[in-house]
Amino acid sequence: MKKIDRLGWAAGFSLKSYGVRIGIRSNNPTALEEVRKYLPNHCDETSSPIVDRLYSIFIGGEGPRQNIRRFNLLYADHLRVERSLQLDEIFLRFESDFRLFVAELAKGRVFVHAGVVGWDGQAIVVPGRSFSGKSTLVAELVRAGATYYSDEYAVFDSKGRVHPFASPLQIRQEGDFKQTKIDVAQLGGRAGSKPLPVGLVLVTEFRKGARWKPRNLSAGAGALELLSNTVSARRSPGNALDAFDHVVSNAQVVKGARGEAHEVVPYILEKLGKNS
Amino acid sequence: MKNTSKDKKASSAGEPRARRDDLVVKEMPDEVLIYDLQSDKAHCLNRTAALVWNYCDGRTTVATMAGHLKQELDIPVDERVVWLALDQLSKKNLLDEKIVPPASMAGINRRHMMRAMGLAAVVAVPMVISIVAPVPAQAGSLGGTGDPCCTGAQCASGLCNGAGTGCNPPGTCL
Repeated sequence: MKKIDRLGWAAGFSLKSYGVRIGIRSNNPTALEEVRKYLPNHCDETSSPIVDRLYSIFIGGEGPRQNIRRFNLLYADHLRVERSLQLDEIFLRFESDFRLFVAELAKGRVFVHAGVVGWDGQAIVVPGRSFSGKSTLVAELVRAGATYYSDEYAVFDSKGRVHPFASPLQIRQEGDFKQTKIDVAQLGGRAGSKPLPVGLVLVTEFRKGARWKPRNLSAGAGALELLSNTVSARRSPGNALDAFDHVVSNAQVVKGARGEAHEVVPYILEKLGKNS
Repeated sequence: MKNTSKDKKASSAGEPRARRDDLVVKEMPDEVLIYDLQSDKAHCLNRTAALVWNYCDGRTTVATMAGHLKQELDIPVDERVVWLALDQLSKKNLLDEKIVPPASMAGINRRHMMRAMGLAAVVAVPMVISIVAPVPAQAGSLGGTGDPCCTGAQCASGLCNGAGTGCNPPGTCL
C-alpha cells in the first residue's frame, strides 16, 4: 500500500468522461462538492471501483499550532501534482490535469487543442497552442453570430465531425496573462449541441500589426497542422489520421498570421460561405 | 504495417527499398501521410514524393522510376526529380538504407529544380514536410518550459515562478 493510501480519506466518487474512468477522493467532503464545479459537462457518475486515474485532494487546513497552516495537496494516482496554500490553485490544477488525461485517453474521440465555432451547419476549427489567440478569435466569431463549440478542444469523431466541448471561454486581455472566464451568453451567443462537419480549418496566431494574407494548405499539410495539436498524437496516431482524413477531404485549410480578431472575421465567414 | 527482420533485404545502390516497419501510413488522393512510430515524427509526401516512395520496392531502378513518373504525371521528368525525392525520403528515414545521390546532383535542391522546370515544377517537384508529434502536455492547454504563466496550474510542470505575484509581472513555466 502506498503512503498516500494510508491518509484518511473521508469520501469519494467515480465518474466516466468519454469512456475514461476517473475516481476522486478527499479528506474533506466539502472539497468533493467544490471539485464538481470544475468537472466538464460530459461526465456521468458511476459506481465502478475500478478507475483509470485516481485523484486525491488533501485539504491542509489549520495545523497543530496557531498560525501554522498545512499545505493543500493534489495527487494524480500516486504522483503529487500540486501543493499550495491556495485552494483555488488545487482545483484549477485538477481541472487542467483531468481534461488533459481524458483528452489523451478518450475512446472514440480525437482531442485537438483548438477553438471551434459553428456557422451555417459547418464548423470552423482554429487549432493552436496556448497564447495563440484562439479564445479571442472564437469570442469575436461568436459576437458575429457563430455558435460556440469550444475554446479549448476540438473533439473529433471517427467520421471527422466535431462535437461540442463547451466550457466558459478563457480570455486574456492584451498585455495581460491572467485569463478571465466568460460565459458565451455574456457575448450574446449560444452554445452548440450537435456534431458538425468541418468547413474550414484556420491555422493562425495573433501577431500585433500583422497583415492578414492567408495561404491555402493542401489536405495533407492541413492534417499535419491538426496532428501537431493533437493530445493523443503519440498514443493513437492511426485514429487521429483516420479522423483528419475525413476532415481535410471536405474542409478548406488556410494558414496565416493575423492582427486584431475583428479584422479577419468577415474573411472567415465569407470563406466558409463559399465552401457551403 | 510491420515486416519482420527476416523479410528485409538489403537493396542495391540503384534499386532503393521503402521502409515499411513501424510506420502508420494513410493514403490520400494526392498525398501520403506517414507516422513514424520509431521517431514520433509525421510526414506528408506530395504526389511526386509519394509515387517515388511507392516505386521503392528494391527491384526498380532510378531510371525506371523516372519513366513511370513521366507517364503518371504526363510531363517531362528526368532522374534528377527522382533523386531529389529519394534524398528527402532518405533523410526522413523512410528508406531501408541511406541513399547517396550521384555527384551530378550535388547542390541541387527544390529551389533549383523549380527554376529549371518552370511551370512543370508545380506538379513535379517532390516535397516532404514533417512535424514532430507533440507529447500530450504540449498539445494541451498547459504551458511548456519558458511559456508565460500566472499559476502552476497553467504549466505542464505544475511550477510557475510568477505564482503569487498576482501575475504582475507574470512568471514563466519551469
